[in-house]
Amino acid sequence: MRIAALVLASFLVSAAPGFEDVTKTSGITHVHRNRKFENKYANIMAGYTALGASAAVADYDGDGYDDLFVTDSAVGGRNRLYRNKGNFTFADVTPGSGIDSGNDAANASADSMWFDYNNDGRPDLFIPRFGRSQLFKNLGGGKFSNVSKAAKVDTFANAITAVAFDYDRDGDLDLFVGSYFQPVNLFDPETPRFFPESFETANNGGGLTAYRNNGDGTFTDATEKLGLRLSGWTLDLGHADANNDGVEDLYVAADFGTDRFFLGNKDGTFTDLTEKAIGIDTKKGMNVDWGDFDNDGLLDIYVTNITDDYMREGNFLWKNNGNLTFTDVSRETGTFDTGWGWGARFFDYDNDGWLDLYVTNGWVSAGKENYVPDIFEMIVKPNIDLADARNWPPMGDKSLSGYQKKKLFHNERGQVFTDQAPKYGVDSIKDGRGVAVADFDNDGRLDMYVANANGEPYLYRNTLEGIGSWTEFVLVGIKSNKGAVGAQVRITAGGRTQLRFVDGGNGFASQGSARIHAGIGTATTIEKVEIRWPSGERQTFENIPANRIMRVTEGRTAPEPLKPGGSSR
Amino acid sequence: MRGMLRVAALACAVTIAIQTTGSTGHASVQDPLVALEAALQAAPDDIKAGNDYRMAVIKASQYDRAIAFFEKLTTAHPGASNAHLNYGFAYVDKIPAAGAITQVILANNALGEFTKSLDLKKSWIAYYTRGNSYLFWPRIFDRTQRGIDDLTEALKIQQAEPKRAIHARVYVALGDGYWKIGKLAEATRFWKEGLAAFPDHAGLQGRLSTEGDAQQKLIEANYDPAKRVDTSLADLWSTR
Repeated sequence: MRIAALVLASFLVSAAPGFEDVTKTSGITHVHRNRKFENKYANIMAGYTALGASAAVADYDGDGYDDLFVTDSAVGGRNRLYRNKGNFTFADVTPGSGIDSGNDAANASADSMWFDYNNDGRPDLFIPRFGRSQLFKNLGGGKFSNVSKAAKVDTFANAITAVAFDYDRDGDLDLFVGSYFQPVNLFDPETPRFFPESFETANNGGGLTAYRNNGDGTFTDATEKLGLRLSGWTLDLGHADANNDGVEDLYVAADFGTDRFFLGNKDGTFTDLTEKAIGIDTKKGMNVDWGDFDNDGLLDIYVTNITDDYMREGNFLWKNNGNLTFTDVSRETGTFDTGWGWGARFFDYDNDGWLDLYVTNGWVSAGKENYVPDIFEMIVKPNIDLADARNWPPMGDKSLSGYQKKKLFHNERGQVFTDQAPKYGVDSIKDGRGVAVADFDNDGRLDMYVANANGEPYLYRNTLEGIGSWTEFVLVGIKSNKGAVGAQVRITAGGRTQLRFVDGGNGFASQGSARIHAGIGTATTIEKVEIRWPSGERQTFENIPANRIMRVTEGRTAPEPLKPGGSSR
Repeated sequence: MRGMLRVAALACAVTIAIQTTGSTGHASVQDPLVALEAALQAAPDDIKAGNDYRMAVIKASQYDRAIAFFEKLTTAHPGASNAHLNYGFAYVDKIPAAGAITQVILANNALGEFTKSLDLKKSWIAYYTRGNSYLFWPRIFDRTQRGIDDLTEALKIQQAEPKRAIHARVYVALGDGYWKIGKLAEATRFWKEGLAAFPDHAGLQGRLSTEGDAQQKLIEANYDPAKRVDTSLADLWSTR
């Protein structure tokens, strides 16, 4: 009898609503594998290149369901495109699509990002790589064509992240690529001096490259002209309009040195406002995501760093002060310590109208021995040349900040965040990298795909019950870029106004849905929706019914319900 | 009197030297650190002069200047045990202003200087200082036992001396050391011994009046590298 009661109790616990791990039943069989280097620095590099597990969401076939692209990094490893069948199962449609050539002896996939570079309404795919990055043109019908060379974006670099937005407001998406190492051939380095020269002020990294979209299918390197020449160890880029002036601004998260904040100017250039806006830091910036966590109408920034027993850097939760300065409130809000942080994403998982936060973490989870003493033994050697890879200790099977529990921070009305990950079973200890958030089954509850390094991913279906109402908008630009990247949407319901925006790939190793989603709690109607399109045009709609996905086309008089099913492209 | 004259002469020489460096130098004739540096050059082993200098450096946030100064001082006077001690503290003083990795380098350099000081003179302050600094290292570096060993030596020395208020620190630190390696009974024993000797000591009272998470929070707050450690040695020459 007691056993029966225990079995029943355990069933009740596992069936409790929250997030259900549906990876096994979803048809997603992809397993990420780290790149294994075969050169004389291989035993050192293995520990510093456990990267490349990424996930990017877009409705590539226009059927009203968000699809998923994921990367591998091993030699010969296949990147995969999963078509969402709408019932939380996915079909691997990679074979024959033309986009599975992501990894070979000279190139390793590091990230992935959808963006409609040719403004034809079909999301195209960019894959930053250690080596030469790839751009695939979406031809429709599930076919893609490699246009990297023709588009002039296959520059040799150790690219690790990318975002796309229309910095010059000419109606097409420009491309910003962040690189980690300098453009040395990591697979066969000609010099041993390609490691960071400092743990806190390194300036021998890959920086970033800004490509202006010429509007004819080609791009031009405009980095210098835009004032974005950097030499840090870029790990992530995140854009948003910090001061609501209609121009996108840019945050650069860098490992081994200071992050950077660039103000976008109306003339299409950028001004480095780092010192005034966020100050100079010495941390290990990993992730950038923007979101208005306190519903004050200004977009804030979340950056993960390293926090562990041996190094207590702490994350940044940059509260936007409204005057192009930010204050770190991570300690006050309980978001300071997430271990060795990686991808993190704002999203409202319980539809209560406040942006919550999921944070992945963990560097290398391997053997019982810890790599930390080896690292510190090196660090304290007088006059050590850190740039020389030969001075770094081999990692072997040792762990470094491994087996760390992921965090699901619930936003308590913009004041503090409380970790609900254990409660909902999303506190895995795999080495997380990217987190892609989307409403995969169009039920108004946001789901998560977590990409793990050297391991299986997690697909978490949101099954929370009794939560708030919601609204979703698919935006289509006309004067603006087709994907409406950069559009701001202010949603008023239940007397509260929330700010959301369409981002072009924010978040480390991840890209969430381009759809606008907002939880509206107990409200039944959206009183007002104000859209500020990237073109500058503004539209306002009133009395929109809740719990529906609406499609809004720039300049059209009314939103229309999205009708999923069937492929329109 | 002769010593005072030497200090005055040195101070004058340093002042003149600084005046000739021009306006771009960080020092000026009004710089209060100049006289303190001169005093230390005149009496490198003077622990109080070193301490006064460091306290002024902290106020001026000129940590690198102090480190460079003590480096020169100890090179010129390698046998000055207290100069090495203050040199070590100069590294510690910079820790809250440094990045996480530099903090480790500074802490390690400090340990090096504390060891040199101890090698030159086995004093209570040197044992206590090095022992206490070991406790700041995360467990993974396995340095806590070394801290306990040093603090045990400091305890032996103070037990043979007249009781002074500063001696309470050894009981606090010894208890914390044992607490860090999970020997709670030992930790409590030393805190209790300390409280018996120093019944008004707030740190000891706090540790003994808490347990579990509250006790952990109290102790760990003392070893947070982001917080400035009070490195003033003023209690050493306190009459209490």
